[in-house]
Amino acid sequence: MIDNGLLVQMILGALLGLSVYLPMAAGQLSLATPAFYAVGGTLAALLSTQGDTPSAISLGAVLGEMLLAAGLTAALALLVGLPVLRLRGIYLAISTIALVEIVRVAILNLPFTGGATGIFGIPQPFQQPLGYVLFSGSLLALAGWLCQRLEASRLGRSMAAIRDDELASRCMGIHTTRVKLTAFVASAMLAGVTGVVAAHYLNTWNARQGSFDVAITTLAFVILGGSRSWLGPVIGGLLLTALPELLRPVGDLRLVLFGLVILLGPVFFPQGLITPALLERLGRWKP
Amino acid sequence: MLRSGGLSPTDPLAARRRGSARLATALAGALALLAYLSRSSDPAAQPVRQRGPLPLGAALALTGNANLYGQDQRMGISLAQGWLHNRPHHRAVELQLEDGASDEPSAIAAFNLLIRRGVIALIGPTLSQQAFAADPIAQRRGVPVVAASNTAKGIPQIGAFISRVSAQSSVIAPLSIDEALRREPGTRRVAVFFAQDDAYSTAETAIFQKVLAARGLTPVSIQRTQLADNDFQNPITAALQQRPQLVVISAQAVDGGNLIRQLRELGYRGQIVVGNGLNTPNIYPICQRWCDGVLIAQAYSPELNTPINRSFRSLFAEANNGRVPGQIAAQAWTAYQVLFEAIQRLQARGGFSGVTLAEARWRLLQELLSGRYNTPLGPIHFRADGEVVQGRFYVAQVRMDGTGRNGRFTLVRERELPEAKP
Repeated sequence: MIDNGLLVQMILGALLGLSVYLPMAAGQLSLATPAFYAVGGTLAALLSTQGDTPSAISLGAVLGEMLLAAGLTAALALLVGLPVLRLRGIYLAISTIALVEIVRVAILNLPFTGGATGIFGIPQPFQQPLGYVLFSGSLLALAGWLCQRLEASRLGRSMAAIRDDELASRCMGIHTTRVKLTAFVASAMLAGVTGVVAAHYLNTWNARQGSFDVAITTLAFVILGGSRSWLGPVIGGLLLTALPELLRPVGDLRLVLFGLVILLGPVFFPQGLITPALLERLGRWKP
Repeated sequence: MLRSGGLSPTDPLAARRRGSARLATALAGALALLAYLSRSSDPAAQPVRQRGPLPLGAALALTGNANLYGQDQRMGISLAQGWLHNRPHHRAVELQLEDGASDEPSAIAAFNLLIRRGVIALIGPTLSQQAFAADPIAQRRGVPVVAASNTAKGIPQIGAFISRVSAQSSVIAPLSIDEALRREPGTRRVAVFFAQDDAYSTAETAIFQKVLAARGLTPVSIQRTQLADNDFQNPITAALQQRPQLVVISAQAVDGGNLIRQLRELGYRGQIVVGNGLNTPNIYPICQRWCDGVLIAQAYSPELNTPINRSFRSLFAEANNGRVPGQIAAQAWTAYQVLFEAIQRLQARGGFSGVTLAEARWRLLQELLSGRYNTPLGPIHFRADGEVVQGRFYVAQVRMDGTGRNGRFTLVRERELPEAKP
């Protein structure tokens, strides 16, 4: 049975999935999400444990941290994105993995981030997991609504065009660099904001949170869910985060089954669970 | 044509967007329903079961990169369970073991699950980093936690409900350095190695370096390694250029074992002191005959000659083809044993009758902290804040047999510390 604690983790997974999806909607395979997630989480952990560390923190302060994290990750994404987005495909993926490693090693070695133990005793804005469910759920709803609006907007269509053919879309007059950079920055901001919520929810933050493993896990959310609609990564994130916990009754075999799902998912659903055709059928359906 | 308002109802793009909106609404509804259904799942307000076994939870790293420790812990706990079950007792205890994996979210999920099932207390999680994530949840819900392997600074200070049987490295680490200096009083040049991406090793090396400074020794070389490293030629060459007389290593079993082996292969002949991460028989097949002579301070010695440790040793050997138990298994046994004995004492006094689960958990905590225990680690008790007070520590030296494949930790010194201060 799913409890509210797991529900929070599922929603955070969905948000990270969306963060990987955004550059992919513009045809860019970026694995930088954990780097920005780690920056957001570290920022929240540092800010909220300053001073005499009270056990609770106001919601306003958390929102402030989220704003700061969004600003910081956006600046970092702009700085990194300009040179890195000149690369394509697998080369872009490799350079974003490098970014993840740089951020991880930096957090590990900076004098104020607690080294390998990390920062602990992060104060809580909510006493019950339900508070986190509502808060992160609202964040997911907002992100989902923006993505839904994006698909019909000029920017969204430009992203889709670049994804289909970058050269052709540039010939059509689309400023491809700007569009790709926008998607990259939006993805970074979403990951940073998610990191803030995750740091409070996890009570502790360390360099392991933004590792290469997270990059692969979040990529799996998009692959299993489907990368052609924003609902794909959301559903992929929700399902794949919940699955290892739901499989607990099978005992030691649970991770074997989990691996099987990841393996067989793309075999049976090569475009992911949520495909454009499925959404179209759903849209035409009349009760 | 491309404006959404101008599309006909048969347009595929419009249909797709409508489908998206519908699916999103359904998803939001499903999530809201899930949140509503599971809004309160804490059985703390219900009366505690009067009959039948009392559920006790354990969340151990059975998967992920800490699984070697978790498997040893599972072995230690299950041996304690069998042994205590066959002795006279007032109340049976039913162990509920869940995989806490090696990451923070899984530890939180395992703790939540066990607390929701109404366990009286919890053992775990395996890693200190996981404890910083999961223990605050048990603290908020008022569930006693006994950590079996968390040695980082600040674990019992997470809250009143958190205690541990695993002594901090700050207590143990100085003993091995002192032993090395006693053997070679003329030592002046010390090289330090540590795995910089490992929480345990970085904390421990800080203590080692503090001890060295207190003995008037400044390291001539400090080398940082990574847990995943296999090849240590560069750091070793850099360190050996300084002609060290003593090498102090804080690392885990696999990387540390390789480091020792390569140190010897590259010609280092001086003493080696290692930290608790190498305190496992798993290092023998890695550094083989080169392990010989390594000094280590331990919170547990298999050679401790007490009735309970002899029982533990023989049970462990029986279950593991004659293997000798390590500290991790002994501490896991101890965690189960202290909770079991506290439950028995409380049951004998009628402490569980007519109270809610929340009250029973609180009473168990008081009982646990006030007791004294005779364990495979030696006699232990708890400070009021939950920190373990262990009187006896050991310095051991690795002795490999003729084949170079197998060895043992031979006890070279036993130290009585009156009151272990963190």
